[in-house]
Amino acid sequence: MTDLLQTVDRWLHETLAAGGHQKAVEWSDHEASKVSAAGLSDAQFAQSIALASRFAPRGPLAPSTQACQVAGGTLPGWNPERWTGLEAVRVRLVLARAAAEDATLPRAIEEAFRYADEGELCALYRSLQFLPGPDRFVWRAGEGCRTNMMSVFEANGCDTAFPVTHLDDIAWRQLCVKALFIGAPLWRVSGFDGRVDAELGRMALDLVEERRAAGRAISPELWLCLKGEPDERALRALEDELTGEDELSSRGAALALGRLGRHDRLRELASSAKGPLLETIQLAITDHHDQAAFGAVSIPEGATPTTPTATAD
Amino acid sequence: MDKARFFDPHAHMTSRTTDDYERMAAAGVRALIEPAFWLGQPRTNVGSFIDYYSSLVGWERFRASQFGITHYCAIGLNSKEANDEGLAREVLEILPRFALKEGVVAIGEIGYDEITEAEEKAYQWQLQFAKDHDMVVMVHSPHRDKKRGIIRSLDVAKEIGIDMEKLVIDHNNEETVEEVLDAGAWAAFTIYPHTKMGSQRMVDITKKYGAERFIVDSSCDWGVSDPLSVPKTAKMMIDQGVPAEAVEQATWGNAAKAYGYSGQIDMDALGEAAAVDQRELFSDNSVLRGQPARVDGEVPN
Repeated sequence: MTDLLQTVDRWLHETLAAGGHQKAVEWSDHEASKVSAAGLSDAQFAQSIALASRFAPRGPLAPSTQACQVAGGTLPGWNPERWTGLEAVRVRLVLARAAAEDATLPRAIEEAFRYADEGELCALYRSLQFLPGPDRFVWRAGEGCRTNMMSVFEANGCDTAFPVTHLDDIAWRQLCVKALFIGAPLWRVSGFDGRVDAELGRMALDLVEERRAAGRAISPELWLCLKGEPDERALRALEDELTGEDELSSRGAALALGRLGRHDRLRELASSAKGPLLETIQLAITDHHDQAAFGAVSIPEGATPTTPTATAD
Repeated sequence: MDKARFFDPHAHMTSRTTDDYERMAAAGVRALIEPAFWLGQPRTNVGSFIDYYSSLVGWERFRASQFGITHYCAIGLNSKEANDEGLAREVLEILPRFALKEGVVAIGEIGYDEITEAEEKAYQWQLQFAKDHDMVVMVHSPHRDKKRGIIRSLDVAKEIGIDMEKLVIDHNNEETVEEVLDAGAWAAFTIYPHTKMGSQRMVDITKKYGAERFIVDSSCDWGVSDPLSVPKTAKMMIDQGVPAEAVEQATWGNAAKAYGYSGQIDMDALGEAAAVDQRELFSDNSVLRGQPARVDGEVPN
């Protein structure tokens, strides 16, 4: 095993054990040794991935904060906070297969994808970030951007640095804009802040106009896409959002003003704001406006949207 | 009936629209089983089966979850397509790759259509697979020569050694019910307009036999069918004096018990209110925005 495969496997083993999932640890130890054996067919490998559901916990893996820090240190962009125990077991099997024979690995992985159910897809997409020869899995990650299954989309796009590191510009921007479309958490797309560019900003502003024309709410996370020297259109769009009635949207826009360096405007707004909006403005003024800061205004994190849902179109 | 919950253990949701999911959720359908079946158009290669089975454990599962409905499925080669023997062999080769996945509660729907030798082979092979893996079996009974088909389904299943407690015979009627009850299997009834059973007949048959071994389903598909068959029938049963306990058995408890032998049904999770993703509310997709579905009609016979 390469160092990374080994380190990740050890982390998964320890975290499962720490969660009291002894049965899952034992089964995955045993199954990983089978998966590593010479001559294992791709079909048998895919079957192992499927069978894991009968031996692994269905609930959250729930790694400790400290364990999450270790994970992020092992592989930047990897955040296993939201993994399930079953995903951990399945990724162990993928790691074992990756260590066993490299040349046939893409074929085996693709076979598993072909026969995968929803939960297996999530685990397989999460595993891509650990695999050697990442160029061989870029097309697959692009497929992950095309899915409409929210769970699968997030497993592929969020909490892993694979997309930011390996996707080309078309796939990358589609991932980001599609996250806004389907309501996946853009702020959890690892490395977003380092790759956001003017073209993504343009696409986001087009989306703003499209949504406004239809009388629809705009995701507070959309404003993450604005960066650099803002043009008239961007500033106008932000002002519209700041004067709207939805607090989460206003807070998202305030964070964006901070990202654009509009501290004067933020100070003006602070004089009349209160409550959570004022707190957000203060964060923005003090330059606490990175992508993680948008977690506080993200709908997916469980915040209740205050914008009334539209009636049927 | 305000807080009633229903388990529709036979619903071909691939053929239905989101309107149906909305209405089912609003009427109290909390969980369903989608058995693999014939798509109306015969398939010509094994890849079509692979993609179909994949959609049952992937996309359709996700689609149902958006409406707060837990989606299980049954995997099997249907009797009609068992007659394309070359293709059937290929399908049975890949079938084990789906049959043991998470959320697969049975082998099904399998059985007879014309009662041919080819159907017999596929049926027996799948029964043996179910027995080897301790799985529940959902049997489709034929439209033509139904009674003979059901008797034969039971006999062959017994011969192979299927535990009757893990055998559900579906699409029963007044003429077949006693055979199934006598054999000790579960008797399922498809409430389907114009063919199979109507809801009034279902009420009558329940009054006669009780609901101890009965399972009511809609079998809603691409034909003229009604995804609200289960809640509608339940309401008629209550209105006509069938004891609430019996209604609960026929429209929730028995399906949960029979298919629960698969170990794939988490009753505690089903007992909780359906979790609909907050994001769905934000995307204007809320299932809660519509009017409650009307369940006070009858499914015509």
